[in-house]
Amino acid sequence: MRLNKRNKKYIFEGFRYSTLTIWLVIVGFPLFWIVGTSFKPDAEWFAWPPVYWSETPTLSNYANVWMGKEELTVTQYAQSMQKPWKALGNSTLVALVSTSLSVFFGAILAYGVSRYQVLTEARMFQLLMLRMVPPIVIVAPLSLHYSTLGLLDTHLGLILVYFLTTLPYAVWMTKSFIDEIPMEIEQAAEILGASKWRTIWEVVLPLARSGLVATFLFILILTWSEYLLALLLSKTEVVTLPVELSKYEGSTEGRVYGRQAALAVGITIPLIIIGIFIRKHLARGFSFGMVRR
Amino acid sequence: MGSNNLAGTSVNSTREMTRARAIKRFKWITISPIVVIFLVVLMPALILQLYFSFFGWTVYLGSWLDAEFVGFEIFEEVLTDERLGWAVIRSLYFSFGSTVGCFLVGFGLALLMYRPFKGNAFYYIMFIIPMLTVPIVVAYTGEMLLYQNGPINGILSSLLGHDIKVSWLADADIALTTVMIMEIWNWTPFSFIIMIAGLASLPKEPQEAAQILGAGKFRVFFEIQLPLLRPVILLALILRFLEAMAEYPKIWSLFQGGPGSVTETIPVLIYLTTWNYFEISKGAAQSYVVMILMILIVLGAIWVLRREKTNLDQMYK
Repeated sequence: MRLNKRNKKYIFEGFRYSTLTIWLVIVGFPLFWIVGTSFKPDAEWFAWPPVYWSETPTLSNYANVWMGKEELTVTQYAQSMQKPWKALGNSTLVALVSTSLSVFFGAILAYGVSRYQVLTEARMFQLLMLRMVPPIVIVAPLSLHYSTLGLLDTHLGLILVYFLTTLPYAVWMTKSFIDEIPMEIEQAAEILGASKWRTIWEVVLPLARSGLVATFLFILILTWSEYLLALLLSKTEVVTLPVELSKYEGSTEGRVYGRQAALAVGITIPLIIIGIFIRKHLARGFSFGMVRR
Repeated sequence: MGSNNLAGTSVNSTREMTRARAIKRFKWITISPIVVIFLVVLMPALILQLYFSFFGWTVYLGSWLDAEFVGFEIFEEVLTDERLGWAVIRSLYFSFGSTVGCFLVGFGLALLMYRPFKGNAFYYIMFIIPMLTVPIVVAYTGEMLLYQNGPINGILSSLLGHDIKVSWLADADIALTTVMIMEIWNWTPFSFIIMIAGLASLPKEPQEAAQILGAGKFRVFFEIQLPLLRPVILLALILRFLEAMAEYPKIWSLFQGGPGSVTETIPVLIYLTTWNYFEISKGAAQSYVVMILMILIVLGAIWVLRREKTNLDQMYK
């Protein structure tokens, strides 16, 4: 076989598809496994050789976790203590409110930075890096401080913390979207008599809308999946879904894979759908000033 | 300042002043709510942490104010503690390993995918899903997969013909590396997305010029594309590294720092000290030491990224 241009192309294509497919399997298998496990009856969770796809799929795990139905099984679980729906409500509330605050203040601040450099570049980077300090270093005194303020185990407490920790991302991402809107449009609005605030509200932000939505959804994903702060700043009232999942162990059995899988699938599906929805914007939002178009 | 024109500058500089004042007002209006929340929520916690570091306090004392001043004793204890040193080393190993892994895989995938081809969209969607998976779910999925009787061992057994039962999670030698691989799985999409954006935004002219002048594909890659991609590469590496240093859910929920203490990274150590051993003051001092360490790393990161940004700004003027 000659190594001409056409053959080289086929070889490359073959290489590409096989490599990508390998990674596809690596990505897909864990997902396949957790979905599969969520449908497995108890006996198959720990079986050897492992059960790759159950012959007898069952909805009992889902019914048990999400509907609270006790099934007569070989083993007993303490799931009456778990409350997935409450956790779902908590997660949704905290995530939505903190993300809205973050994007709202972030976008306005980003506008100021983009047009008028209200924050210097140094400050912008410092803001970003502030988020990079591990939250573990602040959680201990924070929980004490919160308990004094009465914010421990409250929605407001988590919301405020999430707001502060996601704000850097909000500012950076919205700034990159606002940067792309030409100043001429604002000048036109000004000439037509609009005040500054009105220009921002009715001209600039609507134009950046798709980017703002993408930022909102991305930060929503972050707050929804956050674990450490939610674990240590909550006790019983404001348990969020990730924390709920980690508490989901049977009192006598330890890991209850099928149930955990059913809960995990429920937690993850919304985020995956959101992520796929905004995938085109993620690249633009993640540039942090390092990508020029 | 006001523009200089022959006819006098008073009107222009007044307008400039009003404008400058308006900008300042805007700045204060937008920043103040954030600053207020920060001062109310985080500042006291930081101060409290500092207080605990200098005033030995245990849970047996009643109120916070009963603690006695111990000077730098606690800091001394913390800084000479071998355990903290080991935790730092483990964190660095975990972070470096997962960052490099994420980058190599992400960059490789990006190189194969940044030009459109059939099936592009499908692969892209599938490849970003791991990043959207809640880390704690990744942890438990990993546990189910790597459990002794789990599918990974099952597949290996089928491939190799006899029962393989590697103890991925309980073997002290490989536990930390196992989590590292989970971290790579979880966060490769981050590097992947950034690198695809970077590759797609590269200007075509330098590459075309080089090819016309006879440079081969490898040379074009190493001497033209890579240098232009440097800011993006550094961004992907730095951001991921910093976040990996703070990783907690996977390591804690799967290992709680064990077996033994082989997976005791910095966050795990601080958690154990503060919440399991109740050595609040020691935990506070450890936190400050870690904070200073991270701030130094972060300052270095800022310096690097700002330099890259300045280069880019100049290049694209």
